[in-house]
Amino acid sequence: MKIKITLFAIVAFAVHISAQETQKDTVNSKEELSELVITGTRTERRLSTLPLPMTVITAETIAKTGVTRLNEILNEQTGIILIPDQSGFEGIQMQGLDAAYTMILIDGVPLVGRSSGVLDLSRVSVGNIERIEIVKGASSALYGSEAMGGVINVITKRPTKDMLGGSLSYRYATFNTNDANANLLWKKKKFAANIFANFFSSDGYDLDKSTPLKNVESYYNTTIQPKLYYDFSDNVKLTVSNRFYNQKMDNRAIIDSEGYKGDAKENEWNSQIKLQHTWNRLYTEYELYATNYKNDAFLKDENNVLFENSYYDQWLFRPEIRTTLSLKKDKITGGVGVNYESLDRTYFDKNVKFNSQYVFLQYDYNPTEKINILAGFRFDNHSEYASQLSPKLAINYKFNSDFSLKGSVGYGYKAPDFRQLFFDFTNPSVGYTVLGYNVAEARLNQFEEQGQLLSRIPGVDFDKPLEAESSVNFNFGTYFRKNKFRLEVNVFYNSIHNLIETGVVAQKTNGQNIFSYFNIDEIFTYGLEYNSSYNFTKEFTVSLGYQYLIAKNKSVVDNFEDYQYIRNSDLQTVQIQKSEYFGLYNRSKHTANIKIAYTIPKIKTDINLRVFYRSKYGMSDTNGNNILDKYDNFIGDYFTANLSISKNIADKFMLQAGATNLFDYTNPAQITNLAGRQLFARIQYNF
Amino acid sequence: MKTKFLKLSLLALFIFTASCSSDDDKTEETPVVTTKVSNIYAPQTGGQGQPVGGEFTKFSFSQNKTVTDDSWDIAFRGTTIIVNGGAKISTTDTGEPERKGQGAVSIVSGTFASVTAFPAAATFVQDKDKVSAITTGSGNGWYNYNSTTHIVSPIAGKVFVVKTHDGKYAKFEILSYYKDAPAAPSETSVSPYYTFNFAYQANSTTTF
Repeated sequence: MKIKITLFAIVAFAVHISAQETQKDTVNSKEELSELVITGTRTERRLSTLPLPMTVITAETIAKTGVTRLNEILNEQTGIILIPDQSGFEGIQMQGLDAAYTMILIDGVPLVGRSSGVLDLSRVSVGNIERIEIVKGASSALYGSEAMGGVINVITKRPTKDMLGGSLSYRYATFNTNDANANLLWKKKKFAANIFANFFSSDGYDLDKSTPLKNVESYYNTTIQPKLYYDFSDNVKLTVSNRFYNQKMDNRAIIDSEGYKGDAKENEWNSQIKLQHTWNRLYTEYELYATNYKNDAFLKDENNVLFENSYYDQWLFRPEIRTTLSLKKDKITGGVGVNYESLDRTYFDKNVKFNSQYVFLQYDYNPTEKINILAGFRFDNHSEYASQLSPKLAINYKFNSDFSLKGSVGYGYKAPDFRQLFFDFTNPSVGYTVLGYNVAEARLNQFEEQGQLLSRIPGVDFDKPLEAESSVNFNFGTYFRKNKFRLEVNVFYNSIHNLIETGVVAQKTNGQNIFSYFNIDEIFTYGLEYNSSYNFTKEFTVSLGYQYLIAKNKSVVDNFEDYQYIRNSDLQTVQIQKSEYFGLYNRSKHTANIKIAYTIPKIKTDINLRVFYRSKYGMSDTNGNNILDKYDNFIGDYFTANLSISKNIADKFMLQAGATNLFDYTNPAQITNLAGRQLFARIQYNF
Repeated sequence: MKTKFLKLSLLALFIFTASCSSDDDKTEETPVVTTKVSNIYAPQTGGQGQPVGGEFTKFSFSQNKTVTDDSWDIAFRGTTIIVNGGAKISTTDTGEPERKGQGAVSIVSGTFASVTAFPAAATFVQDKDKVSAITTGSGNGWYNYNSTTHIVSPIAGKVFVVKTHDGKYAKFEILSYYKDAPAAPSETSVSPYYTFNFAYQANSTTTF
C-alpha cells in the first residue's frame, strides 16, 4: 500500500513540476470564471466570486465520461464517494458526512424517498442534464433540514433560443445493460417545450456465483420529463415541469434456507410550476412543488404463497415564494414557504404527517470590487421538533482575477426523520424490536401489559422531544490560477451535535433488546480537499484531486478509557493507546483521482481516463472494543479506473466506447457495490 | 498487522510476568494460576421471539469443572450468565436454579492480568428479581451483538471478579461464545460454547 501511495505522490509531484516549468505559456480559458451558478445563493451568481466551496459538472464533462446515472458521475468527483453504508444502501459521503446529510435537488426542488436516510441516486438519468452544481458544507441557511453536509442540484437542459433540436442516443454495456435516451427541445417565440425520455435496463450482476442471490438483481426503469415554458412577456414567465420515474426490479430473498421470489416496484412523480416575475429591481419566483415517491415489494414462497409485502408512500407538497431585490451592487434575497409531508409505510402504525413553515433572508453584499460578503439565515418552524434558526456567513476576497481567498461558517441541521420518530418493527426471526422515539413510550407500556418486558433501562424516558441533529461547519479555501495551471484548495471542519443513534431502552423476556433512537453522540470531521488541473497543450489536460479526511466520535476521544481494551488474535485482552483510534466506520483517510483528457482534433476524438484511489477503511469493530482502531480488520485500499473514447462524426454523430472499472478490481466479500469491468459502446445523434 | 499483534502480545506477556513476580516478592503466597476453560456448552430453549428456557450449565471455579449440585459459582444459558447469590431473576423460570450460595460479581475494566486487587465490597452485586448482576443484551453486560453479521463478541477489557458460592474470590474473562474459539467467528460458527480464562484465589487474602 505504501508503494501505491508513493507512486501516486510521485505522479502528483511530477505533474506539479511540469506545471511550474511551463508557466510561460498562455491560456485563455476564462469560461469557468464567468460560469453562472445558482445553488449557492438561489440567485444567478458568477462562480468566481462565490465565497462557498462549489463544484460544477458540465453537460460536456458528463457526455465525455460516457456514464448514464447520477451516482456514477458524482462518484468521479473529488471529495465525494458513493458507498454502501452499514444498512447496505449505496449513498453519497461528502466531507465525511453520511448520505442522510446531503440534499439532492432537481431544478431546485428536492427528491424524496430515502431508505434508512439514503437516497438512491441511480434514480436520476444524466441524459438531459445541463450541469450539476455541488455546494459543500452546511447549507441549511437556504435549504433547511437535510442540507447539513451540502446540496447537490441537478439542472436540466432547457431551450434558450428559437430552435427545434435534440438528441437520440443508445448505449449498450456489459451485464446486458441498455440505456436509451431521447431529448427534444423546441422554442418558438413565447412558447417552449422540452421532453426527455430514458429507458434503462440491466441484468444486474453477481460477484459470488456460489451464492443463490445476485448482488444486484435484474431491473428496468423509465424516466419521462416533459416541460413547458410560456413567456407572457419579458417580465412574466411560466415554467411547468414534470418528472415520472418508474422502476421494476426482481426481488429475491433467502430466509432460513428457503428461497423467496417477487417484485420490487418504485414510482416517483414530481411536478413543479414556477412563475417568474420581474418588476423594476424586484425579481420574484412563485413556485409550487409536489412530489410522491412510492415503492411496493412482495415476496412469495416456492408454493406461490405471499410471504411478505412491504410498501412506502411519501408525499411532499411545497409552495414557496422567493424574491430578490437588486440594489446598486448588492442583492437582498428573501423567501417564505410551507412544507406538507406525509409518509405511510410498513412498520408504521398509521400514516404520519409533518408540517413546517419557513422563511429565509440573504444579503449579498459587495462593499468593494474585491470583497463579497454573503450573510443569511433561515428559520424553520416544525410540527414535530423544536424550531431551528440556521445562520450563515461567507466572505470572498479577490486579490485579482487569478487569486482569491474564501471562508465561510454556517449552521446546518437535519430533522429527525419519520423512521426515527414512528418506526415500529420487530424482527421476525431474531425477535428484537426497534421503536421510533415518539411511539416508544406507548409501545413499551403495551409490551409490559403483554408480559413481554423483562426490564427497562433506568433513566431512559421519552419526555423531551428528540432533537434535530445539528452541525457547525467551517470552510476556508483558495482559488489560484497561473497560465495553464488552476488550483483550488479547501480546508473544512464539521462539528456535529445530537447525532441520532439507536440505543437499548429495554429488555424483553425473550432475551432480546428493544431499541429506540437517541441524541447520543458528537462527532467531528475535518480535512482538506485539493483540486488542480494543468493544460499541457490545448489538447492535453491532466487534473488531480485529493481529499484528506479525519472523522471521529468525540465521546470516544473524550472517554477513551472505555475503549482502550482490545482482543488480539489469541483472544487475549491488550491495552491500546488513544492515538491508535482510527475513527468512524466507512471513512478513508485518503481519496484521490487523476483525470487525463486528451483530444486529437484531426480525427475529432476525445480520450478520457480517470483513475480513482481509496485508502483502507473499516466497516465494523473486529476486536471487541466497539470502535475502529488500527488493530481491527480493514478493507484494503484500492484503485479503480474508467476509460472513455469519443469520436464525433460530422457534428451530428458521436460514437463512444469505453470501460467502467477498467482494471476489473473487485472485492466480492467486502465491497458489494463494485461490479467488475464493464465495457460499453454508445451512439448519439444530435439534431 | 500480525507482527504488531505479536509485539503487543509479547508486551502483555512481559507485563503479566513482571507483575506476577513482583506480587510474589510481596506476598510470598503461591500466585493464582490462570486457567483456560474451553467449549462450555450452554444451550437454551426458545429465543427467536419465544420465551427463553432450559437448564443452566453450572460451573465451579474451585473444582474447575461443570457441576450439577449447589456448589456452582457461575452458570450459563445462551448469552445469560448468572451468579450463585441473591435470588432468581425470573421466579417463573423453572430452568433457572435457586440461589443457595453467597455469590456476587463486580465488573472491572482492565486486562485480565492487570486485575490483581479485589474490588471494593460495595461494587459487588447479586442477581435479584428482574435484575441480572451481569446485565443481558448487547453492549450491556459481557458482549456486543452485531445485528448485521449476527456475531456475539465478548467486550474486551471486561473482567468479572466473582465472589464464589462459599465466599472465596475468582476472576474470569469470556474469550469466545463459539465452539473452539475462532479468532474471527463467522455466521457458520457454532454457539453457545463458552471459552474463558479464570483465576481462583483459594487463600484468604485480598489479591489475586
